[in-house]
Order: sequence, then structure tokens, then C-alpha cells
Amino acid sequence: MRWSASPAATAVVPHTGDDGNGSGAGRLPRPGFVVFRTMQATIEVRELRKRYGPTLAVDGMSFTVSPGRVTGFVGPNGAGKSTTMRMILGLDRPDEGSALVGGVAYHRLPNPLCQVGALLDAAAIHPARTARDHLLWLAHAGGLPARRVDEVIEQVGLTSAARRAAGGFSLGMRQRLGIAAALIGDPPVLMFDEPVNGLDPEGVRWIRGLLGSLAGEGRAVLVSSHLMSELEGSADHLVVVGRGRVIADRAVADLLAAASGGQVLLRTADRMAAMTVLTRAGATVAATDRDAVTVSGLPAERIVALLGEAGVSFSGIAEHRASLEEAYMELTRDAVEFGEV
Amino acid sequence: MSYRSTMSGRATFAGLLRAEWTKLRSVRRWALALGALVVLTVLVALLSAAGSNRVRSDDGGGGGQPAVVDNSVQDGGAFTHRTLTGDGTAQAQVTAQDASHEWAKAGLMLRAGEAHGSPYAALVVTPGHGVRLVSTVDDEIAGGTGGAPRWLKLERAGPTVTGYESADGTDWRQVGSVQLDDLPRDVLVGVYAGSAQRVEVVRQFGGESVDGRMTTGRATFAQVTVTGEGTDEWRTRDGEPADVAGQVTLTGEGDLGPDLFAEDVTNMTLTGILVGLIAVVAVAVLFVTAEYRRGMILTTFAATPRRGRVLAAKAVVLGGATLVAGTVAALTAYLIATPILASKGMPTRSLGDPEVLRAVLGTGPMVAAIALFSLGVAALFRRSTPAIAVVLLLLLVPQIVATGLPVAAAVWLDRLTPAAGFAIQQTVTRYDTAIDPLPGFAVLCCYAAVVLALAAWRLRRRDA
Repeated sequence: MRWSASPAATAVVPHTGDDGNGSGAGRLPRPGFVVFRTMQATIEVRELRKRYGPTLAVDGMSFTVSPGRVTGFVGPNGAGKSTTMRMILGLDRPDEGSALVGGVAYHRLPNPLCQVGALLDAAAIHPARTARDHLLWLAHAGGLPARRVDEVIEQVGLTSAARRAAGGFSLGMRQRLGIAAALIGDPPVLMFDEPVNGLDPEGVRWIRGLLGSLAGEGRAVLVSSHLMSELEGSADHLVVVGRGRVIADRAVADLLAAASGGQVLLRTADRMAAMTVLTRAGATVAATDRDAVTVSGLPAERIVALLGEAGVSFSGIAEHRASLEEAYMELTRDAVEFGEV
Repeated sequence: MSYRSTMSGRATFAGLLRAEWTKLRSVRRWALALGALVVLTVLVALLSAAGSNRVRSDDGGGGGQPAVVDNSVQDGGAFTHRTLTGDGTAQAQVTAQDASHEWAKAGLMLRAGEAHGSPYAALVVTPGHGVRLVSTVDDEIAGGTGGAPRWLKLERAGPTVTGYESADGTDWRQVGSVQLDDLPRDVLVGVYAGSAQRVEVVRQFGGESVDGRMTTGRATFAQVTVTGEGTDEWRTRDGEPADVAGQVTLTGEGDLGPDLFAEDVTNMTLTGILVGLIAVVAVAVLFVTAEYRRGMILTTFAATPRRGRVLAAKAVVLGGATLVAGTVAALTAYLIATPILASKGMPTRSLGDPEVLRAVLGTGPMVAAIALFSLGVAALFRRSTPAIAVVLLLLLVPQIVATGLPVAAAVWLDRLTPAAGFAIQQTVTRYDTAIDPLPGFAVLCCYAAVVLALAAWRLRRRDA
């Protein structure tokens, strides 16, 4: 059932003329009633702009979060990630642009909890309230059955602490409670703002697994972080932002390949001979160490072949793999240098 | 292929009410604060009842036991009377009256019985304000401006009592007539003399002292006649036999009419609510600001993007809870304190009295309206400290400074601030009564409605 993309699933939403959200409105016939099929699990952000006083927090942000994968939303603190998420949830009103969930502005979703789940701030719980009561009011507000509360508590592993006041929770437990709140309506679109923050290594592993399985079910998952390393191994796609704009929007694999730049690290005692052979074959060779050179312009297997033919011995050869962190540093260098971030 | 939720929740207003109720009940100290309203109100009522003692002497009736009477009505003075069965007329000439007080009264009185506050009509002359027809039903009716000597006549026909005055005993002029419903067939009729207290009110911040000095009214009557059935035995108020043949001189203390300086005993049993209200205001404000402080408001508004509905649900839940707490507090305080006050001879009144019932049962709605006002202020300010400060300032300061201000200023302060709502707890009209109970309550409700409407408008327009 969970995988069903039942074409019979339809929802009727009252639609009242102007939705005040610019470009997205064109998707819906109007006026009167809109009938849409099973909601596409997407988030579409188009040319969002938001200014708080003198600060331009979001400056023309555009990206799409697609179903079935984990999209990392990365950038330094103050890059506009949280603001963008707040605008997607209809909490802050954009000055320009639009943010649509499944093609619809958030405030016109018939039951938002069943369409979008969000964790914005793990500390946003009344400390005197128990975890269960916190989720219970949320369930009531969304018209969800109370049993759903126990299900999500179990899902995030808080069953033993469910009847304790949330004020005594560790940051990791609060993150789990916040994730439970996001999952309560079993929504196809999920947003987590810095969910790894404050988790212990076991918690980090748990959340990576959770993100992967949520995306694996066909949900769209947007996860923000200011540390690229936190997303390594969990994000499939990255939206890198700086100073309120998107710097890069591409698959993790592409990003790594680009950052690696096809360089090969060669370790050899006969450095001069190797450089001669490879330069003649058209490669660019730079000495990096007393017994090592960096070769670019030739694939590793060709280098091995050339050196073999010329009888140059070598003790090691490896393709250079940039870490996600390096790729990120490369991308955000400008933003960090020139921005007030 | 994209995922589809297995849930099909329908967000309804009823669900929203349950959500807000869950929020309210799940923070234990909020529930305790509402309980504290009850406990504090009852405690203050008990303390003030236990510490009270009757200062003013009772101004009528005999017997050893102090009479428990409605103190909002003055019913003093000397009254020498006989019975009158059915219709009849009483007539007398007031030949002289001491100018003991400009409102000293001398003349004829007809009343249903001896009990304090029983229905009466009296046609009197006063040294300063001419002839007056005073009664328990209507406002005073003014006659001619002349005082004693003067002829007076009181005529009873069924429930109607009509007064006439004359300068010479032949040329009569009607002063007016009043309808005394429930007048029994046998009534008391006779001559009356009384004189008001000289009242000095000292007001300072934090309280007032009302100091009354009795004055003695003295008047001489001649040709006292009563025509109609009944025993022709004349008695004083103390039951002593009296003679009205020839000249009669009466001396009496006390006055007729509403007592503008009376203590509001029922109100006293309910004032404890002021102390408990501070807890209610705190809960009402925190019910909103706690969500802003922690950022939980984002979860609330993400779950319910229609923010006006969230505010409405909060208002219904908080209004209901405080209505119940306030009603329980007022009823308990009244029911516990009243017997204690009565045992000390204080003039308590029963719940059957419509004014008392309104004061006691009106306290719950008053507490609820104050809670809603606080809720609206909190939603406007979003922060606890300014919200609580503003609400308490508007509610309590008029109560505290009112006695330190001239009466005219104090009265306007009590009319224009939300504190006007406390008027619902009044059961007597006093010299410093600012506003009637229901209009006062309406002022408070207006404040609550305006602030909530403003808050709803701001919530919709501002970023969360």
C-alpha cells in the first residue's frame, strides 16, 4: 500500500481565485474547485527573495526537490537555508517569488501535516510538556488518530521517554521528537533543518539510515546542514547556497567528479623519467613531493601502460578523490570571502 | 514515482480545539494556576470574613440579636404608628422641624410591616429640599419647596399610595403617587421623623474610610388623624404605647432611601478573585507567548496555516477553562464566606437576591473576559513581560489608585479601563459607583474583542 501511486486518489480543494503566489498559480485551473491527483512529492522554489530590514536573507533562490532522493541543502550559517524553509512552510511571506509543495502553495494544502513534515528547530518544545502530549496536540490539530502518536514515537525510538517532560531531553532526543513530529502525518515531502546537530555518532548513523529509507519509499527529502561532512554518505543531490543564492544544484557524484578534476597521484623513485614519458604523451605533470607527482590529462590505466612501455618503475598510483568537504569549500569560497556570512 | 501518505487526517476546528486543550492541560503549572484562582479567591474571602466585624450600629428594630438586614437601604428614624386595614387616609400637620440636616425628614409614613427594608411610602418635609414623597419603589418625587409648618395627607387605595400637601389644611395639592406592589391588607401608618448622617469620606491610596456621625431629627406634629379600619392603638417603633392626641413630638436618628456609603458585603466575599486573577492573566499570556519563546508557534502555524483559527481555538479553550474556574471560585467563596459574615452580624444577602446572583455568577464570565483580553494582548506583543505588564496595569492600577484620586477622576478611570468589568461584582450603588454592572462588563468585553480582532489581523499579516 505504501508504494501505491493509485490514480484513484484525488482530493478536492476549495480554490479561491488569486493565490498570491505568482508563477505557481498557473498550474491550477481557476476559479472554483481544483481537483488534483495524488500530490507530486516535490518542492519547487522559484526566484524567492526575502529581506529582513537591511539584510537580504534570500536573494533569488531557485531549486527543486524531487521525490525518491535525499537533497542536501548546504551552505554556511546565514546563507538563507532556514528562511527558505520557513517560506516553503508559509510561515514567512516571500517578498518575491514562490515556493510550492506538489505544485500548491503551502497555505492551500488541504491537510498540510499529511503532505509536508518539517523539523525546523528541535528546541521548539514546551519543556513542561511530555513528548507524547506534544505529539498529541499536533495529531489533534491535523485530525490524525491518537494511535499515530505512539507509532511515530516508536519509529524514532522514544517509547521509553514518551511520558517524560521534554525539558529533560538531551539535544539528540529532542531531534528525535522533532523528527517524530515531522513524520506524524506520514507526508510524502519532508524537510529537516540541521537534524544531525547534536546527535551522537549512533544517532547520526540512525538518521542517515532514516533519511535513506524515507527517500527510498519515494518521498522527497530536503535536509539542511552547514557542514557538508554531515551530508556525506546520505545526500544524493546537493543544493549548495551562499549569500541567499544557489551556488550549485547537482548530483553528489557529479560534484565529486568535478572537484576531483581527473587527477592521478603517482609515486615513483624515478621522478624525472616518469615526467619525461608522461609529458611527451600530452599530460600535465607537477612534482608534489620528492618521490611523487600529480598527473592530469591522462586516465590512470593509460599512465600505467606508458610507464610500463618505458620501463619506469613506480611504487603506487591512485586516482585523486576529492572529499565532499573540498568540493564544498571550492564552491563556497567566494561566498565566504565576499559575503557577510 | 512519488509517495502517498497513508494518513487521511481532516483538520477541523473541533480538532483544533482538542489540540489547544491538550496544550493547556499538559503544562501542569498552568492547570495548577487555574486551581490557584479558586484557592486564592476562597482564601481571601475566608480571611476577610474572619477578620471582619460590624462597625456601624444597626439603625432600626429592637431585640438583643443584631438584625441581619440589607444594608444597602437605610430605614432609620422614629415612627409612631397604628394599623390600617384596607384603604384609608392619614393626615397631620408638621408644625415645626429642627434643621438637624438639610435632608432631615418629618411627615407621614405608610409601610407593609416593621421589618427593616419592608416596602414603604413616606411623605415628608425637609429643612432644605421642601416636600418629598419617598418610597422603596421609585425615585423621590419632589413636591413644593416649602418646609414646616405644612399639612400632609397620605391616601391608600389598594397598592397605590398618593401624597398631598397643603399650606393651610384646606387647599390641597397632589405631590404624586407610588405603586407598592405586594402591599398587604394590613399596613402600618403614622408619623415619622428622621435625620441623615453627616458622612465624611477620607480617601487615600489603597483605601477609604467612611465616617458617619448621626444627627437627631426632631419634629412636632398636630392633628394626627387616620381614617379607615384598624385598631386605634398607637405604638412607637420599640413597641411602646404612644399618644397622638394634641401635639406630638418625635425624635429619631437615621434616614430613608439608598445608603450611598454602604459596604458591599457580597462584593467583599468576591474581591479575592483579584489575587487569583494574576495567575489567570499569567496563564492566558503564556498560553501564547510560551509558543513564541520556544519557537513552537512555527509548528502550530505549519500544522494550521489559517492562523486566525488558531487564535479562535485558543480563545474558546482558554475562555471555557477560565469560565469554569472563575465560577467555581466565586460560588465557593460566596458560599463559604457568607455564613461566617452572617454569624458576625454583617448584613449578608442570599443568592436568591438577583443582584447577588448576578455578582456571583457574573464573576466567571468576568474572569473569562479578562483571560481573553490577556490572550489578545499576548498575541499582539508575543512576549510575556510586556503583555503581563500591560494587562495588570490596565486591570489593577485603577483599583489601586482610584481611592487616591478625586471621585470624579476615579469614576472615569473605572469606566474607561478594562477594570470596568469588575462592576459585575457590585451589589449596591454607592456614592463612588462608576458604572452599572452590565455596562461595566460590556466595556471589558469590548476591550477583549478589539484586542483579539487586532491580534488576529496582525497574525495573518506578520511573519510567524
